[in-house]
Amino acid sequence: MDRETLLDLEHLNQLSLTPQEQDEMLAFFAAREADWETLAQIDTENVERMVHVRPMVNVLREDVASQPFSREDLLAQAPESMDGYWQVPQILQ
Amino acid sequence: MTAYETVIGLEVHVELATKSKIFCSCTNGSDAEPNTHVCPACCGMPGMLPVANRQVINLGMTAGMMLNCHINRTTTFDKKSYYYPDLPASYQTTQWFAPIAVNGYVTIQTEDGPKDIRVKQIHMEEDAGKLVHDNWSYTSLVDFNRTSVPLIEIVSQPDLRSADEVVAYLERLRSLLRFAKVSGARMEKGTMRADVNLSVRPAGSTELGVRTEMKNMASIAAIRRAIEYETARHIDAIENGTEELVQETRGWNDDAGKSFAMRNKETAGDYRYFPDPNIMPIVIDDEWYDNIHASLPELPEVKREHYVESVGLSDYDADMLTQSRAFCDCFEGAMAAGAAPKEAANWIITNCAGVLNKRGMTSDELPVPGSALGQLIGLVGDGKVSNANGKRLLETLFDLDAQGESIPEDMAAFAEAEGLLNSSDTGALEAVVAAVIAADPETAQAYRDGREKALNPLFGACMKQLKGKCDTQVLRNLLIEELKK
Amino acid sequence: MSENTLFIAENPSEKAGADQLTIGLDDLILTQDMPTSAGSKMLAGFKSLFAARVDERLREAGHHVAGKVNIGEFGFDFLGETSYFGPVVDANGNLTTAASKLLADAAVDAVVGLDVNGAQARAAALSDQVHLKPTYGCVSRFGTIAVACSGETIDITASSADVAQQVLDVLAGHDDSDGTSLPASECARITSGGSAEAATAGEAFASPITHVKVARGLLDTADADTKQLIDAVIDNLNAQGIAVSDTTAETDALFAVGNLAWNILMCAELCNNENRFEGMKYGYHTQKYTTIGELYTKSRTEAFGILTKTAVLYGSEVLATDNYDRCYDKALRIRRLISEAFAKEFANEDAGQTVVLLPACAKRSYSLADVEANPYLAFEENRFTAPAAITGLPALAAGGVQLVGPAFSDAALLRMANILSPANCAGKEA
Repeated sequence: MDRETLLDLEHLNQLSLTPQEQDEMLAFFAAREADWETLAQIDTENVERMVHVRPMVNVLREDVASQPFSREDLLAQAPESMDGYWQVPQILQ
Repeated sequence: MTAYETVIGLEVHVELATKSKIFCSCTNGSDAEPNTHVCPACCGMPGMLPVANRQVINLGMTAGMMLNCHINRTTTFDKKSYYYPDLPASYQTTQWFAPIAVNGYVTIQTEDGPKDIRVKQIHMEEDAGKLVHDNWSYTSLVDFNRTSVPLIEIVSQPDLRSADEVVAYLERLRSLLRFAKVSGARMEKGTMRADVNLSVRPAGSTELGVRTEMKNMASIAAIRRAIEYETARHIDAIENGTEELVQETRGWNDDAGKSFAMRNKETAGDYRYFPDPNIMPIVIDDEWYDNIHASLPELPEVKREHYVESVGLSDYDADMLTQSRAFCDCFEGAMAAGAAPKEAANWIITNCAGVLNKRGMTSDELPVPGSALGQLIGLVGDGKVSNANGKRLLETLFDLDAQGESIPEDMAAFAEAEGLLNSSDTGALEAVVAAVIAADPETAQAYRDGREKALNPLFGACMKQLKGKCDTQVLRNLLIEELKK
Repeated sequence: MSENTLFIAENPSEKAGADQLTIGLDDLILTQDMPTSAGSKMLAGFKSLFAARVDERLREAGHHVAGKVNIGEFGFDFLGETSYFGPVVDANGNLTTAASKLLADAAVDAVVGLDVNGAQARAAALSDQVHLKPTYGCVSRFGTIAVACSGETIDITASSADVAQQVLDVLAGHDDSDGTSLPASECARITSGGSAEAATAGEAFASPITHVKVARGLLDTADADTKQLIDAVIDNLNAQGIAVSDTTAETDALFAVGNLAWNILMCAELCNNENRFEGMKYGYHTQKYTTIGELYTKSRTEAFGILTKTAVLYGSEVLATDNYDRCYDKALRIRRLISEAFAKEFANEDAGQTVVLLPACAKRSYSLADVEANPYLAFEENRFTAPAAITGLPALAAGGVQLVGPAFSDAALLRMANILSPANCAGKEA
């Protein structure tokens, strides 16, 4: 991880660090890359991934519609809204 | 001069015809007033957890089977991260690691005969919201009604070679998905949208050229124009070095008839996919698989052949009916209710289609059940309802459906309740006939003198008095009998 | 009561009777009548349109939900030090959490929260309180601000195991709105009634704990005071007729990397879940912006603390295409190995049940200066809580130490709290 990669990463995650924060972040990432080396020592060749700690299957709902929330309530905390829409700076195509 | 070959692959997004959204219970209906089919989950507020809609899985499987795919018996959902105002949680739940269906094909008809277009995969995912650009305030307005509406994305292999093939492929997909009731698949409504991946190479080459992607094409005509434009642009760049081709996402401006590079940096991004820990895997056992398989409709061409060979319809009638699953269902239902095939076909192709057209509805929206139509045809055939009143009853059925009311089971009772049943009282008919003859003795005499056409005004006068509610054949016979007395 | 510990409810629910409890909800639990801020400037004053299932259940059971309890930003820090509303120190000037401070002051009987990365287990262990992180899937997470969904659970901190069990009895149960919620019959196992029934039926998870295995490898990374405490606990266990031995070297090797794997999973999920906070729809937004990118970046940069930014960036990096296999995928496989290691340690031929003993943190107290000197303690000293977090196994913190048991052994673990408490150990020493 170098400063340029870090800038890309900041951009991707909509964050902007100060130069001092970047220095700390680079040190943090260096330590984490050492973590990855440590993890690489563990043989996981024939180990199945575990996404869910208490696995179940087919947790599904039936196709029934309901509409309990009002638009006014949902928009009430919007910084900017207009005519029942959230409003943002114009998105250029 | 070098001959070139265009290589095209399509990613087609199709909204699924469910009642509710994919991970929350909001109504699936993005046409509504903005932000009225939304909840905290599809507005990106914290706290809700996704629970997948069973019908989405059913329709995903159905689509996979219709496109001859292998169904993955274990299928999972994953999260894809990116920022865009129409994506309220800043991630989309989709299928990256184990999509519902893979390795299928769609057969299209080309000038050189049938051709199989391979389907790489079909995955299920949630749709994004919609942005409305307000040039007055120089802002964009965000509507989350479409957020989390269930979609399938059908990814083809780059097997298509021309605009004609692309159009044939899209029309075939649309027909199959509509037949299986997976989706309305209406490009003009945005329930079917295509991304076109296109490259050009010298004919005979096996290497792929530089690929460009045109996103969210919303009409078949626009897709045809865009493919023709892009092909010419690529060839021009290769031959004349007019520009350097780069792999990129391009937009299509149909008014200008031009594609343009999109500035959207995110399109080149790395989406940080990972398995969604809140959604358990979906495991499709044999019973579930078999149930869906058993529910698949006959393919339109199989039905068409059956209608011509076994039922005895004309090619034209069979073509018209097999345009639409609703037409086929109605036709088969009407036959089951005793209607003659030709008669049932005529009623659908002429009368039902007429009403649909008048009301701006598509053939898939035909609200009349086959049994109702069959009974109606029977009532008209038996002379219990006049032809004109039969059509009137048909319109009333459309009205009932439009008002959200159910279609009555018993058409005879319905006709009676509507006051459109023919009078079966011959005494009343005789009285009307006698009165009409008495009121116009000159015309009656003209008929008796051999002018057969004189019967028509007398018949019309009777019909008028009876308000059309009679068996016309019975009336005609009675009138002739009376005149000959 | 200091300002940054409890945000009092405007319309607190009334206690239905003398047996009912006064309960605080941590600030990751959504409530309708009080804001839910997640300890973040981003959500300061955010009002949810619906309440968490746990809030509903507590109110229905007649308990008094007194207010919202301050936490570190998104609850994943070391001891609440990253809260936008400020850190909390105890009467001795040591760093603690708002929940532990409120319990120490007897302002509440219990605090119900979301255990993301062990902060509250550590605080309870440092304050001689009882903390339970229940078996994953037994208490609905519906209505919690999601951070690391694959491992986080609702947690309970109380002054006694009996109170913790009383609260657990109310909270445990199936919820259709949480796709990871276990069937009702399985949720019932961790309640006092369900556990008693299972004990009668001779089911393993409800049997008394007869063996304790010490996670020696992790213990060796703790300081002398902590080792001494564990020794006292071991003596006490022996005195109670409970067999004590060490975990295997293989288990120790996996426990040693548990937090490295958990940091990857937790930060990736945190990054993804907290992407939604960008200033557009609700919550904090920057004052001056002309483009959507500026709105997003300035809002997030101005509202998130540095530890959240660190976790977001790290979480994004471990999911990058080039890193996925060696980071995220690797961590998912190590999660499996750690689960299997626990299963081997728990395997028991006789009727009793085995659990694993480990410290909750490396020292017996922490100061603000400690977290200032090392802001990443949450990613390092979480090595003691990560084995339970990454596997979703139930963990009890009591008497300053931690026990991790098999799934559904929650009630059995709570029954151990008195044996672990320093009062008993001290009595033995004297």
